[in-house]
Amino acid sequence: MPGLRRLYAPQRVAVRTDPRGAPTTVEGHQVETVREEWLVEDRWWTSKPLRRHYFELALGDGRALTVFRTARGQRWYRQRA
Amino acid sequence: MYVELHAHSAFSFLDGASTPMELAAAAAAQGYPAFALTDHDGVWGSMEFAHACRGFGIRAITGTELTVELRPAGPVSDRGLSLPGESSRSSPPAGGTAHLTLLVEDETGYRNLCRLLTLAHSHTRDNTTRSQTQPWATLEQVEEHAEGLVCLSGCAREGAAAGAFERGDTAGGERVARRLLAAFGRDRFRIELQRPYWRRDRARNRWLGLLAERLDVPCVATGNAHSHDRRRAPLQDALVAIGRCETLEESEPHRRGNSTSSLASPAAMAARFAEYPEAVAEAERLAERLRFDLTEQLGYRYPGSEDAGADAELARVCNHHLGERYAGSARLLEAQWRLEEELATIRKLGLSGFFLLHRDLLELAREVAAEVRGPESARNVLPPGRGRGSSVSSIVCYLTGLSHVDPVEADLFAGRFLNEETTTLPDIDLDFPRDIREVLIPRVHERWGADRSALVAAFPTYRPKGAVRDLGKALGLPPGEIDRVAKTVGFHERTAAEIERDLVASLGPERAKEPRWRVLLELADEIMGLPRHSSQHPGGMVISTRPLIDVCPVVPAAMKGRQTVQWDKDSCADAGFLKIDLLGLGMLSAVERCVEEIGRTRGERLDLSRIPLDDAETFESIRAAETTGVFQIESRAQMQMLPRTQPRDLDDLIVQVALVRPGPIQGGAIHPYIERRKLLREDPEYKVPYPHPSLEPVLEETLGTIVFQEQVIESAMALAGFSSSEAEGLRRAMSRKRSEEAIAEHHRRFLAGAAANGASEEVAEKVWNQIKGFAGYGFPKAHSAAFGLLSYQSAWLRIHYGPEFLCSLLNEQPMGFYPPDSLVHEAQRRGIRVAAPCANRSRVLCHVETPREEGDVRGGLVVRVGLGYVKGVKKEEMEALVAERERGGRYEGIAELASRAGVGLPSLERLAWAGALDGIPVGSEDDRRQALWQVGVTAAGRIAGADTQLALPMEPPAPPELEPLGEWGKLIADYRSTGMTVEKHPLKLLRPGLDPNLVRSSDLARLDHGARIEIAGMVTARQRPETANGVTFVLLEDERGSVNLVVPPAVYERHRPLVRTVPLLRARGRLERREGVVNVLVSDLAPLERDKPSKPRPRNGRELAIAELRAVTPVGHSFGRRGR
Repeated sequence: MPGLRRLYAPQRVAVRTDPRGAPTTVEGHQVETVREEWLVEDRWWTSKPLRRHYFELALGDGRALTVFRTARGQRWYRQRA
Repeated sequence: MYVELHAHSAFSFLDGASTPMELAAAAAAQGYPAFALTDHDGVWGSMEFAHACRGFGIRAITGTELTVELRPAGPVSDRGLSLPGESSRSSPPAGGTAHLTLLVEDETGYRNLCRLLTLAHSHTRDNTTRSQTQPWATLEQVEEHAEGLVCLSGCAREGAAAGAFERGDTAGGERVARRLLAAFGRDRFRIELQRPYWRRDRARNRWLGLLAERLDVPCVATGNAHSHDRRRAPLQDALVAIGRCETLEESEPHRRGNSTSSLASPAAMAARFAEYPEAVAEAERLAERLRFDLTEQLGYRYPGSEDAGADAELARVCNHHLGERYAGSARLLEAQWRLEEELATIRKLGLSGFFLLHRDLLELAREVAAEVRGPESARNVLPPGRGRGSSVSSIVCYLTGLSHVDPVEADLFAGRFLNEETTTLPDIDLDFPRDIREVLIPRVHERWGADRSALVAAFPTYRPKGAVRDLGKALGLPPGEIDRVAKTVGFHERTAAEIERDLVASLGPERAKEPRWRVLLELADEIMGLPRHSSQHPGGMVISTRPLIDVCPVVPAAMKGRQTVQWDKDSCADAGFLKIDLLGLGMLSAVERCVEEIGRTRGERLDLSRIPLDDAETFESIRAAETTGVFQIESRAQMQMLPRTQPRDLDDLIVQVALVRPGPIQGGAIHPYIERRKLLREDPEYKVPYPHPSLEPVLEETLGTIVFQEQVIESAMALAGFSSSEAEGLRRAMSRKRSEEAIAEHHRRFLAGAAANGASEEVAEKVWNQIKGFAGYGFPKAHSAAFGLLSYQSAWLRIHYGPEFLCSLLNEQPMGFYPPDSLVHEAQRRGIRVAAPCANRSRVLCHVETPREEGDVRGGLVVRVGLGYVKGVKKEEMEALVAERERGGRYEGIAELASRAGVGLPSLERLAWAGALDGIPVGSEDDRRQALWQVGVTAAGRIAGADTQLALPMEPPAPPELEPLGEWGKLIADYRSTGMTVEKHPLKLLRPGLDPNLVRSSDLARLDHGARIEIAGMVTARQRPETANGVTFVLLEDERGSVNLVVPPAVYERHRPLVRTVPLLRARGRLERREGVVNVLVSDLAPLERDKPSKPRPRNGRELAIAELRAVTPVGHSFGRRGR
């Protein structure tokens, strides 16, 4: 629909990870620490199942950031929440 | 190594997606040395789990996740303020609830766990409908029962500590934790860490770790597994939605959120808790300590087991009755010898107290029977109940009154019931008429104490229909679609593939592709067989010397005054509980009613134990398969067989009753047995072939086939030299479907033993296959003997006291194979008169009218349908109507009836529709519309307080000209109001409008084998037995009789909805006649429609609406795999 825009839509980000799969840099910024890590597997009964691996991060510059990786395609997104 | 101390099975009821067996197998496969099952508020699955683990060589830890009440924050000393009265316990906990994980360390701990769970459930049915509510215990109760238990602080979301963190009430969480620490002590209280991969895991575990430091207790890691495999995670989600009556979308906050709450390997779990290695090590240390073994340390004893004088007392009782029963009998010596032998075995097994206990129970039943039947009843000559099952083979049971069949006379073998090597208690099953049983069960609770007796639990499991309904709702599928599919599914389906076909058939292939329906099919496959909730076994009771609540939690049952243990019959048997089955048997009630009715109508006091057992007329009717309404041999399958087996005496009947069971059918006994009976009839010199000479004595009475359960044991003993306990082990391995390995082991030994006995491998394999095919699903002979006698007695009553027999069957519904409508039609074809309900003649129940009693009923007995048969009337109103008529004489007019009888308008209208007001006042036209009009103008709207205006006993003005209902209208009204018609058969009314080429059931006898025919009728029963390879049988009834339709799988697939649901059918096919049995092999089916337009009806020209009839006719009974 014209004129409507989804708020807080996840945005693609570039992430580097350690061998375990945890982010080490996001958009070039150093990750200071992983504060939380969780999994969402939902809507498996629909044609658009949801499978996300979330990380709540503290960056080197003091910012907090939540990113997730999708199961398919291994893409990274940042989530504003 | 990590050990799991927190896991849920499907016995957490809709919060666990795997069976205890699956969990145990997966735990063993993943290399766990021990594993704890902690279902919500119960140990429902613990016995099964313990035995399963034992089988896999791992240690089961017994525990529970208990729901505890959290008082609103306040001083701890508020304990004294709330009284532990009923009212405060039944109200929902004000401060919410939390979970604790409790694990059993020793026997004291197990006893405390059982008592605590009993307390937690004690208030769960304190509401008017006795529907089950959330169990919970108070924190004080937990504190009082802490000894011997290890307490973990609870799960991540709702745990007593972690849950408080989630709610932001860290102070409250710490307060509860300190109380638990004080109660359980530093050794037996742990802070529980979980890692469910939720957003606040780290924060929560950090807080819990700090709490543990402050309390100075270790943390312990647990997994909170809800399924044995990741692939079950979707089902777990669906179960949570079902449990909350929500869709999956709505239940999001309550679901697990991801698939990590499945059983994972010890290494994976250790990796998950990499930051807390001490918590992982603590799990292992705790598990080392938790050594209570449910399979060995239960400490159960049955009453009388410690009575030193029991042996002498039992011998005294038996010898006393032996003198009585066998006085002057030629077999007295044999009986004496058998008694001595049985008593010796019983002494050796220490079971004398067990038999005396049963005798006490029967004495109690005798008292109850006398009360229920009343002092004058003709039923008083009958015993209060009778034995069934293998106990009937025991002479001790016969002499103590537990069975009514003389085992010496009937040549019954007691080896299966009682042998020296037996390790479990023998089973004694007792059948009672339903009314006696209803009173007896609470009386048993009184006699042995509410804390020492309880019913056995039963767990209804998911079947296809329920799976479609529950999963459909959870998946948010349209209710209309769910309903259509569920209705088609019936209970014939067994697999997801079969459900899929129904789905396509009812919604079309396009709609069936919808992702949610696809998901439903996958989930349905997994959910089937999982328990949905707990319920009560129909009559199994457990009695104990020490309080039962020390050995198994006891919970209130849905029926007032009853309670159940948390274990089903298998777990109770594994626990070694003394279980008595007090079963309600409809036919026993019917036979009792019949005896009473005969006493009333004919003044005869009938003693069923003294009727001749060789009545020619009775056996003739049995051989001709005229057995509608007769116990056991009335089913379609039995009727098909009777003309071929031609039973001539009670012994034949005893075999007959056992023949139509899955065991003999799958073991391949049926055809050889029928064939050999035929050959023997034709040539009495015919030699029955036996697979091996050693089997002749064992299989002689069943002509070389395995029909009775004990023949499995005896064959294995005779052919392969098995000891009786080995053979019993074989039977158990097969019947409980638990162990393929065990069966294979028995097979090896069987072949070796048979070879040693000189049998060829071919013969040995052949006999093995019969035994394996039988698989234990058959009757023991003793059970058959008890049932066969009841079959004969009911057949005898049907022949000699037809009206009373029909009457008692109608009053005992639901029971048996046929709906009341079919019973009535069949009786009418035999000339028995049945009359419609009538306000001036009927009682509440059906009764037999005699000419003596009713001056104007001439020429014999009439079965009068009771007013209670009219659907929707109030029983109390009908009782009042009958009582007032008996007090003040018959009702002379409808207005008078309305004012005198105390019956409200709704019930009066229903009576009018059913024709029960026809002919009031006497001589008026029988018209229901007029009666309805009069009811409408005279009856008081409703009965209420004394101030309500009463109906005036003034006859209303004549009704306006109303069009009479007509035959068709009456038929529809009959079916709608009573589910049956005593007037013309629907097919008789339809016949003039039907194709004249349709044959009637009575024509079949003179048509040739192989003739192509077409026939129409009303469906009275449908059956799709598991043993029939997809063939469906449909019984079709027309105005002349019934015919059996055989619907092959291909035709069934084509006409699935027709076969299932349509009550009026027309079938085309080939007539098959074999040995006096006629079937129609169906090639095509259609709903019954009118073939030619009827003559315009003179009054309103309305078409005969078959659709109208279709809407009201009884659906007919359907028998799937539950069958009978």
